[in-house]
Amino acid sequence: MKIAVRNVFDKVFTGLTRASIVLLVLVLAVVLGPILYRGSSAVVFRGTVEFRRMQFAVFGHGDEQQIQSEVQQARAVRERVYEIVDEFKKGIDASALTERARKIHRDFGQELRYRQTPHEQYAELRSLSRDIRDRLEAAFEASDKAQVDESIKYVMQYRQDERLRDTIAAEYFQMAGDFQRAAARVDLAKRAEYAEQLKDVEDILFCADDRPGLLGPRPGELQPALVMNQYGATRWDQAKALLDRFLWEEKWVEQEKGKPLVKVKVERAKIFEGTELEPLFAYVRDNVREMLRPRWTFYWRYFFDDSASGHYFGGVGPEIIGTLLLTLLSMLFVIPLGVVSAAYLVECASENMVVRIIRMCINTLAGVPSIVFGLFGMAFFVLFLIPLFDGPSKPCILAGSMTLAVLTLPVMIRSSEEAIRTVPQEYKEGSLALGASRFRTFVAVTLPAALPGILTGVILSLSRVAGETAPILFTAGVALGPVPDSVLDTTRTLSYGSWDIAVGNRISALVPHKQYGMVVTLVLLVLCLNGLAIVLRSRVFRKLKGQ
Amino acid sequence: MLISASKTIEADTRIIGVEHAMAKPSASVKERQQDSAKCICAAIEAEDFSFFYGSTVGVKNISLQIYPCMVTAIIGPSGCGKSTFLRSINRINDLIPNTRIQGKLLVNGQDVYEKNINLVNLRQQVGMVFQKPNPFPKSIFDNVAYGPRLQGAKKRFGLQQIVEESLKAAALWDEVKDDLKKSALALSGGQQQRLCIARALATKPSVLLMDEPCSALDPIATGKIEDLIDQLRSDYTIVIVTHNMQQAARVSERTAFFCLGEMVEYDHTARIFKNPAKKQTEDYVTGRFG
Repeated sequence: MKIAVRNVFDKVFTGLTRASIVLLVLVLAVVLGPILYRGSSAVVFRGTVEFRRMQFAVFGHGDEQQIQSEVQQARAVRERVYEIVDEFKKGIDASALTERARKIHRDFGQELRYRQTPHEQYAELRSLSRDIRDRLEAAFEASDKAQVDESIKYVMQYRQDERLRDTIAAEYFQMAGDFQRAAARVDLAKRAEYAEQLKDVEDILFCADDRPGLLGPRPGELQPALVMNQYGATRWDQAKALLDRFLWEEKWVEQEKGKPLVKVKVERAKIFEGTELEPLFAYVRDNVREMLRPRWTFYWRYFFDDSASGHYFGGVGPEIIGTLLLTLLSMLFVIPLGVVSAAYLVECASENMVVRIIRMCINTLAGVPSIVFGLFGMAFFVLFLIPLFDGPSKPCILAGSMTLAVLTLPVMIRSSEEAIRTVPQEYKEGSLALGASRFRTFVAVTLPAALPGILTGVILSLSRVAGETAPILFTAGVALGPVPDSVLDTTRTLSYGSWDIAVGNRISALVPHKQYGMVVTLVLLVLCLNGLAIVLRSRVFRKLKGQ
Repeated sequence: MLISASKTIEADTRIIGVEHAMAKPSASVKERQQDSAKCICAAIEAEDFSFFYGSTVGVKNISLQIYPCMVTAIIGPSGCGKSTFLRSINRINDLIPNTRIQGKLLVNGQDVYEKNINLVNLRQQVGMVFQKPNPFPKSIFDNVAYGPRLQGAKKRFGLQQIVEESLKAAALWDEVKDDLKKSALALSGGQQQRLCIARALATKPSVLLMDEPCSALDPIATGKIEDLIDQLRSDYTIVIVTHNMQQAARVSERTAFFCLGEMVEYDHTARIFKNPAKKQTEDYVTGRFG
């Protein structure tokens, strides 16, 4: 081959190696970059006053005084919102008004009995009250202004009636008056539509049945059952999304005949044009910052807090504990087993058929899919081995870590074997020549010299085990549960949790940052464990080399 | 006699290094006889000893007696079985699979290849220093203490003293006494080899086998090791295998010449180098082959 051609090949080869490294870095950046960016928003984000309120109430973090004062400030700004909504409701919320009218009627009856009015008078007043109530109901239901005026006029004629003056029934007239004023400003024909729209608006502003709102439930009202709904928007990006939904309604509209429907955004303020509710939208838009008081938050407790309300709030503390427990316990099983097996294969085994078959089995085991290990673990450890020792026949950390140990055993054996073989024969000879037995030589000389290679196997195993999901599906993992007390409990893990959030669409749409956060935490945890092991290995290596 | 003398005169110019080397005074015979009275060194005897690697011959029909309390050198060209013979004495050859022996090899009257032999005892009695210095990747102290610890010595029961004595005997104490915790691999080649000698001496052996101990060292270190061998000569039976004829002439009292697996000649060093009985020996020491 000519020198020139050889030089060209050399340059091409160097260029290819450099290009492949660049490609690797690009792939890593493309894959890890978005995950890291989105996951970091689980820890670093703009949290609102609702977030701080939630942190204090659910987890007990934060300064009570400070939070109270903030909440007061926020509520001061929110008052106007409540006012506008209430005013509007007076005019159109027929069911609430009806309910109130009936309540007045009942209370009036009680009051009469309390005052021990004579029977005839009681009956008369009761029927009068019932009459007023029915008229009011008719007024509330009416869609025609004339009808409303007529009913109200009928009711108002009893206003000066002295029998009703100092009683609860006086509230009838208050209600009637309010309603008349409110109804004057409202297009009664549209009342049903307004009611529906108002429900939507209230859902977005306060809270709906299945998702929280912008400001959270109104103070003084009954708190919803789900913790998730008891607070408003805890994150500023969440708040902005809700604000967007609040200001704009999405409708499917047929823009062209025969073509598919097109999604169109309609300003909600236009729907309520001319009503009392119209200024609400501008007010909320202009004052949402004061109402929510967003602030950059570094939620480092994310790594320690338990999750609340099914991962909607809180952090991944128990998951981290579970992953660490499983990983370290499985390392505890696999390291001795792997090193001893490797020692046997190197020192004691002679090259016959049996040993060859053993090696083949070990290599095959490395290629078995991890779900098979999960099923094996369940069948052998959970259902057979642990009950054999009088343990409970259910998934537990012990079974999970043993399954993971079996999963990673081939890697450990292979790297330990390599490491032990690489120890120079001279050390062995030197030790034997001093009168050491073979076992003593192995433990005192060969093993310490093989330690860097064994630690390499440990690093490889650690990374694999920390992220495995399939083996612990049936043997140790659960999606929700307490921090484990003993090795006979199940546990939550980062890998299982990531899978669970992705599969169960309960909340994955609501909290994508949580999903990413869990994955990023897993990546960071593996990096930390690897880093520790690498540091340890380099120190052992340097000590072996004599520095 | 004259003819051989003239030949040796002719050859003298070639072996002038040997001449100079042998001019170095060694202890007088009388002193040596006094020392050997209190010496506890072992004698080694080979009776028609043969060693086979599978079907290849390592050494064949070796009959040789190595006397206690002196330095015996084994010289010969490459592949002649010197190292094989040496390594058979403390049975380090057992590490190699597919070997067999014939004949007897006695250390202090006990057959080394006997069925019930205690290998641990044997190897503590027969110390070995290898060609390439092989200190363990541990501290200097732990290296020297390895043997005594096997024998059961504990830190508080004199281990420190044993280590110090061994290092002094190996002429290494002054250089390392400041930091015994330093890694043995941080020492220079010569120091490492002396450390290995100290390590071997720590088990208080009666025989010291040295398999080309200076071949991996520079001349200054080699000189130091040879001085050390000189100091140790009266306390141990030392068998040294060497490629370097001048070294054999410098340090040993008796020399055996091996060639192609057989022992050709075994005699006082002076006679081997000045006046060998066999022609093969003469050809080798004058450099005609090898």
